[in-house]
Amino acid sequence: MSVPPGHLFALAALLFAIGLAGFFLRRNVIVVLMCIELMLNAANLTFLAASRMHTLENGGRPDLQGPIFAIFVIVVAAVEAAVGLALVIALYRNKQTVSLDDVADLKD
Amino acid sequence: MANLIFYVMAALVVVGALGVVVARNPMMSILSLLASFFALASIYLLAGFQTLAALQILVYAGAILVLFLFVIMLLNLADEKPLERIDMALFHERKTIWTLVVAGALLGIGAFTALELAPPAVAAGVQIPEHGIDDLQGLANAMFSRYLLSFEIISVLLLATAVAVVVLAKRNRGTPRLDQGGEST
Repeated sequence: MSVPPGHLFALAALLFAIGLAGFFLRRNVIVVLMCIELMLNAANLTFLAASRMHTLENGGRPDLQGPIFAIFVIVVAAVEAAVGLALVIALYRNKQTVSLDDVADLKD
Repeated sequence: MANLIFYVMAALVVVGALGVVVARNPMMSILSLLASFFALASIYLLAGFQTLAALQILVYAGAILVLFLFVIMLLNLADEKPLERIDMALFHERKTIWTLVVAGALLGIGAFTALELAPPAVAAGVQIPEHGIDDLQGLANAMFSRYLLSFEIISVLLLATAVAVVVLAKRNRGTPRLDQGGEST
């Protein structure tokens, strides 16, 4: 594949923007968590694109910093999904809702 | 040829991500996210990251999305009421416009930086290593030497998460079990 590195970065930017828009627009907690996953994936793609760019600049010597950070991001995403979904279940048990509009108690 | 596959998969990633945001049913959002993640894994593969592509499918599609699916099905079974009421009035609010403006500005900055400042093309003759950038041996050597401390810390994070999820998901102390009848209240 000889795609210029900029296109990978641009794809990551697009993915992040979509995730951000969804994060603020949607009211369903589960979909909001999914949008966070989208943004974390955009970060992953950025790490890997940078790693690929540096590998090619170094004449093919692998740059492992990107993949290792991407693995850590995947772990953090799993942790975040687990805690977030446990919170959703606790919320549903207490309030019978998953809509963010119904849990604005701290705002008032 | 590989370039063509990359652009097709990139389009699939974007369409899937858009599907997550606009789908009315959370189940459709999940399936759309799944398609997006699979396309992203193929992009990792094309870019020379075999291990990360496998991890993307195993951990994201295999574990995290199934967790989401479980929760959606669990809540659907518990109550027939629809999970979300979508009101089209949302798209007339000021907040929506601001969100789109901020996301668009972010996208503009990101895309400009990527396309203008990154090196425009791959240097001729330089190849990705035959076994990919992140072959398991190199990855493990780096992970267990230079990044050992981060590795240990993230294991503590996982332990803390396990404890936190148990605490959050168990019943509140003092609330009677449903199957014990009403005499305990």
